[in-house]
Amino acid sequence: MNRALLPEMLNTSMTVLERQRARFKWQQEQQQQQLQQQQESFFGDLSRVFHLQQNQLQGFQGDLGEVVTRSVKPDPAFVDNGWPDLVGFEPCGYGNNNNNGSGFGVNYAISRTSSCPPAVAEATLDAAVLAKGTEPVVSENLSSGIGRESLMKKRKVDKLQSNPKVVAEDGSRDKKIKGCAEDGESKIKEKNNNKSGTTSKNSNKENSAETSKDNSKVTEVQKPEYIHVRARRGQATDSHSLAERVRREKISERMKYLQDLVPGCNKITGKAGMLDEIINYVQSLQRQVEFLSMKLAAVNPRLDFNIDNLFSKEAFPACATNFPAIGVSSDMTNPAYLQLNLMQQQQQQQQQQLVTCCGLEMGINPPDMGLRRTISAPISIPEIFIESSCFTQIQPSSTWDAELQNLYNVAFDQGRTTSFPTQPFTGKIKLTCLFNLHFISLIISIGLKK
Amino acid sequence: MRAPQSLKQEFLKKWMVGLQLCESTNQNMSILERKKAIKLSADIAMASTRNGMTCWSRALVAKTSTDFGNKVLVDNILLASQSEKLKNKRTIIRRKKILRKSHRARKARGGRVVARSLAKEMVKKRTQVLKSLVPGGEFMDDVSLIEETLDYIVSLRAQVDVMRTLAKATELMNGK
Repeated sequence: MNRALLPEMLNTSMTVLERQRARFKWQQEQQQQQLQQQQESFFGDLSRVFHLQQNQLQGFQGDLGEVVTRSVKPDPAFVDNGWPDLVGFEPCGYGNNNNNGSGFGVNYAISRTSSCPPAVAEATLDAAVLAKGTEPVVSENLSSGIGRESLMKKRKVDKLQSNPKVVAEDGSRDKKIKGCAEDGESKIKEKNNNKSGTTSKNSNKENSAETSKDNSKVTEVQKPEYIHVRARRGQATDSHSLAERVRREKISERMKYLQDLVPGCNKITGKAGMLDEIINYVQSLQRQVEFLSMKLAAVNPRLDFNIDNLFSKEAFPACATNFPAIGVSSDMTNPAYLQLNLMQQQQQQQQQQLVTCCGLEMGINPPDMGLRRTISAPISIPEIFIESSCFTQIQPSSTWDAELQNLYNVAFDQGRTTSFPTQPFTGKIKLTCLFNLHFISLIISIGLKK
Repeated sequence: MRAPQSLKQEFLKKWMVGLQLCESTNQNMSILERKKAIKLSADIAMASTRNGMTCWSRALVAKTSTDFGNKVLVDNILLASQSEKLKNKRTIIRRKKILRKSHRARKARGGRVVARSLAKEMVKKRTQVLKSLVPGGEFMDDVSLIEETLDYIVSLRAQVDVMRTLAKATELMNGK
């Protein structure tokens, strides 16, 4: 996309598309990492496998070490801006390919151990030594797609048959691959083809064994501005139809993002239906704007809204009422999402913006509810945090604090909100002090109003 | 990259500037006039928050400024929000679209062919509708249309949120 190259674009703001793309890329990266890990465990020597196994066993023993290390890597979407609108869809994304495991860290680890079906266990039996070490990997694989199961078997057979030299070579080559896990797959496929002569399912990867090898090498070099188009079997290869195919792929990619953005668009398949939904949504938004401007015109005899007056004097109620409006329209009422967001936040405390963001989202409950929550904040921490250190216990209260800050500081003065010291979470006492202070100020403001 | 909150803030700021400008130019207006002014200023504010990065914002500005003599207002708002670069940002050289008629004779017989062409027809119709909805959509190709729609939806959402907030706040204040 040529627009992404504009420098001012990068500085000031990004389009929604880029943001979404960044998120997707991150997810893919995560998947690739795991795939790499798998390949290492398969093609590396035994000692490495055992090492891995040890690691994983440690991870299961409850210190969540692996989960933490895996989830250290922050989601770019969160890092950079913490868009709640987009982020609101995060849970479903995680549901689909729960390889990322940052949000649902604990559940994820459990599911990985438990979700190893007997069929795969059988398959692993023939590699008796490796069985223990690879089991979690296999189940991991399963979570990403059942279709890969057969591939795993093939790989295993391959591994048993092939001489150690090939294995070593493969291991080193696999290490080389960073950007393209897919190509790694294709390579394995190709090997399978050479040996067994069967045609694999995703035949788009190989026009011939030679070309796919070459292509994977080309992508290893990673030329960024280069679009690879490969024709499937039976597809036209002239430049026009290739270009058309690229265009169609682009469109479908963007449609996917749109699907994420428009509520209620997830279940609809087919381009026409999706377009219908999008049209309806845009129309409803436009109508809302129309209606709201009418309402504003009716409510106000003059056009001068005098916003300072509005928001400073009526600080608390105005803001409290404004929150439900935001919450309704942007799908943030999802409790899972809130938890997720908190988890994320726990991992990346350096992002002050996120905290403020989170605080805002907490505000979706009506004012009395918000008040109640602020009082009993440390008690109402979800169970998920209890397993972790006391640090997490501090965190939620800090978000409540941020919420209060936001409630209190209604003049949309972001400078103040961001300067709010979220960094030094050294002790609970300090936070509770702050917390109390804000609460008191809130009470005062309420008292003054009445 | 910006958080939605800052987007909203920026929008609100610009919108208020626009409203004040409207107020200063015309003191007593009817309710419809007021509504029009509110909507106009909101639209322009929304467009200017995108800083001319997107096609739809440019198209919106262009459309509103050619409309009913409110060019002055548009200019004022844009000037006030220091984004006059929005206007003369860059002229987009559009390729002349080569209309290719499909030379393939459409086969009426054969259920699959009919269904496929029907689906294509449906998609085309809806794309047309979407083009009419998104400002400046008539000149976009399919890919950029969807991109712009993405952006437009996000901005509209922010706009609606802010407007709703303001409406609630004013209601509350007037109620007292």
